[in-house]
Amino acid sequence: MRALVALSGANIKSFVRDRAALFWTLAFPVVFVVLFGTIFSGGGSDYRLGWADQDGSAPAAALRASFVENAPIQLTDGTFEESKARMLAGDLDGILVIPRGLSAVIDAVNAGQHPDPITVTVITDPSRSNTALAVHQIATGLVMGANLQLSGATPLLAVVPESLQTNRLNSVSFFVPSILAMALMQLGIFAAIPLVQQREKGIFKRLNATPLPRWTLVGSNVVVRLLIAAAQTAIIVGIGIAVLGVEVIGNWALIAGFVVLGALTFTSVGYVAASFARTEESATGIVSAIQFPLMFLSGIFFPLEVMPEWLRGVATFLPLTYLGDALRQTMVGGAPFAPLPIDALVLGGWLVVTLAISARYFRWQ
Amino acid sequence: MDRLPLTADASSGFSALAMLGRPDQDAVIQVDDVRKAYGTVKAVDGVSFQVAKGEIFGLLGPNGAGKTTTMEMIEGLHPPDGGAVNVLGMDVRKFATAIKHRVGVQLQTAALYPQLTVAELLSLFGSFYARQLPVDRLLEDLELGEKRDARTKTLSGGQQQRLSVALALVNDPEVVFLDEPTTGLDPAARQGLWTIVRRMKSEGRTILMTTHYMEEAEALCDRLAIMDHGRILDSGTVDELIGRRFHERGVHFARAGAPDEARLAALAGVTRVAFETEEVVLFTSNVPATIAALLELTGRAGTEPANLMIRRASLEDVFLELTGRALRD
Repeated sequence: MRALVALSGANIKSFVRDRAALFWTLAFPVVFVVLFGTIFSGGGSDYRLGWADQDGSAPAAALRASFVENAPIQLTDGTFEESKARMLAGDLDGILVIPRGLSAVIDAVNAGQHPDPITVTVITDPSRSNTALAVHQIATGLVMGANLQLSGATPLLAVVPESLQTNRLNSVSFFVPSILAMALMQLGIFAAIPLVQQREKGIFKRLNATPLPRWTLVGSNVVVRLLIAAAQTAIIVGIGIAVLGVEVIGNWALIAGFVVLGALTFTSVGYVAASFARTEESATGIVSAIQFPLMFLSGIFFPLEVMPEWLRGVATFLPLTYLGDALRQTMVGGAPFAPLPIDALVLGGWLVVTLAISARYFRWQ
Repeated sequence: MDRLPLTADASSGFSALAMLGRPDQDAVIQVDDVRKAYGTVKAVDGVSFQVAKGEIFGLLGPNGAGKTTTMEMIEGLHPPDGGAVNVLGMDVRKFATAIKHRVGVQLQTAALYPQLTVAELLSLFGSFYARQLPVDRLLEDLELGEKRDARTKTLSGGQQQRLSVALALVNDPEVVFLDEPTTGLDPAARQGLWTIVRRMKSEGRTILMTTHYMEEAEALCDRLAIMDHGRILDSGTVDELIGRRFHERGVHFARAGAPDEARLAALAGVTRVAFETEEVVLFTSNVPATIAALLELTGRAGTEPANLMIRRASLEDVFLELTGRALRD
């Protein structure tokens, strides 16, 4: 135990003091997240809202005109049901519901009466909190303006927010779990490079000349990988929440479980790579040969639906598909590729198989 | 120290060839007919020797002779293909962990964790053992005190080498294995390491070392085995190794103005005369008689031999005799 702590401490010190390693494992994912976040949440494009006019009156049309003129929005007319279907399909960012009775209330005001205010419902997707917030602000502002025009002081219209969890995630919510999955994958398989380096430099041989048990050596490697994984997760998810406004809706324990499972599985893949690499150069080659197909075929950056059929077939075998899927589901929701237990089972299967391969082929010297 | 009489007894009683293969209760290291092949290459081809408690035993030979492989099998790093290795009375195959707690190993690799400081690396290795020496004592003994908090990657070659020796001592070992401990060091650094090795011996530790430096083997080793092509060609003390095949000594003097060959060959005790580029060598079985006769001969001509020197054969000559080639180059 004392040796495990000392060795893990030594590995962490070595990691923290190696500026390049620190940058690639901790700062690079941050750059990635921020870059993607900026590209995909980038402003400019109009918000697409459904306009469900249940009143069909002249004042409703006037209100519609003031929305179109005064805010960066595109309105699509339709019934509430039609709009809801469009929003679920990802074609709308929200829905404005104009209630039946709007013209009656306005007529009453004009007749000098004081009717109860009537509510305009704004439906948004809470997992896309940036958009939801913007749409709310726009709707509230415009409705207040309409109030002033209509009645002077008395508010006639109130805005009531409602939520609709859609299956189509916006880009940032889609990418943050993907980047986390990618970072965990890289952290794991890149373990191959220090393993081969240490073997080449004779560190394993030197350690083997001490009574240090093998399991302590492997254990400390795994402990260190998990600690770095935890740091990466904290940074990526932290930036996702604080800077990009991603809302984590899932269960934190479940997220942590998948982070650990993913880190273990891919570290084990890294040991397999180190089992077949003789030199540091060949390790780098093997790691790249594993990493790029995983990155592009696992649906972490391109949704699987947009891929051709045969590539989707490939994706169903890759562990990163399931880690990305599990993290997306547990963090931000969204359409599952597979149920969570299947995700866990596939990752666990890869873990067991790669462990068996490295137990058979890994060489310490 | 109760160890000393044992050492003296062991080394004085050695007739090295007779010792081979004979089990000895006092042997700290016992190697019997050990073999190791890599593919078709027989790296170690039937090696046997024993090392007594408190002794410095050297494996001397050129690169590729099988010294390091032999030593690494004794350290428990590679299983032998055949034969038996016992260290501290325990079979290396069965009790590797128990043995590793009591021995210290210095390997040719020193750049272990370049980002750790000297003190951190020493205490890391200390944590692997049941028994430890204090880091500060190791730093002082190995003259690394000033480098205590320096990253190991910043150390000079000599400092790295001392650090790798310090790592071999963290567990206060009874047996120390040193693999070419002075390779690549300048003469001053080499002398410094010899002092450290002698101190280890004075502390009662048994030392097995490899080297391809003749003068190192002569300066440090109580006994040594000369290896080539995976085999031990001969073993014993330096005197035994030389005495077994060179009974004569060489009387050397400057060639300029030397008497002619026939007269020199007729001098008392001389068995052979060699004219080399700069000097003449008289091989003799009786040094005092030869010198007296030489001085008389030159005295009659009113001169005396310049740069007169008496030399015995060296390990270099032994190696040449055993293998037909020089150790260096």
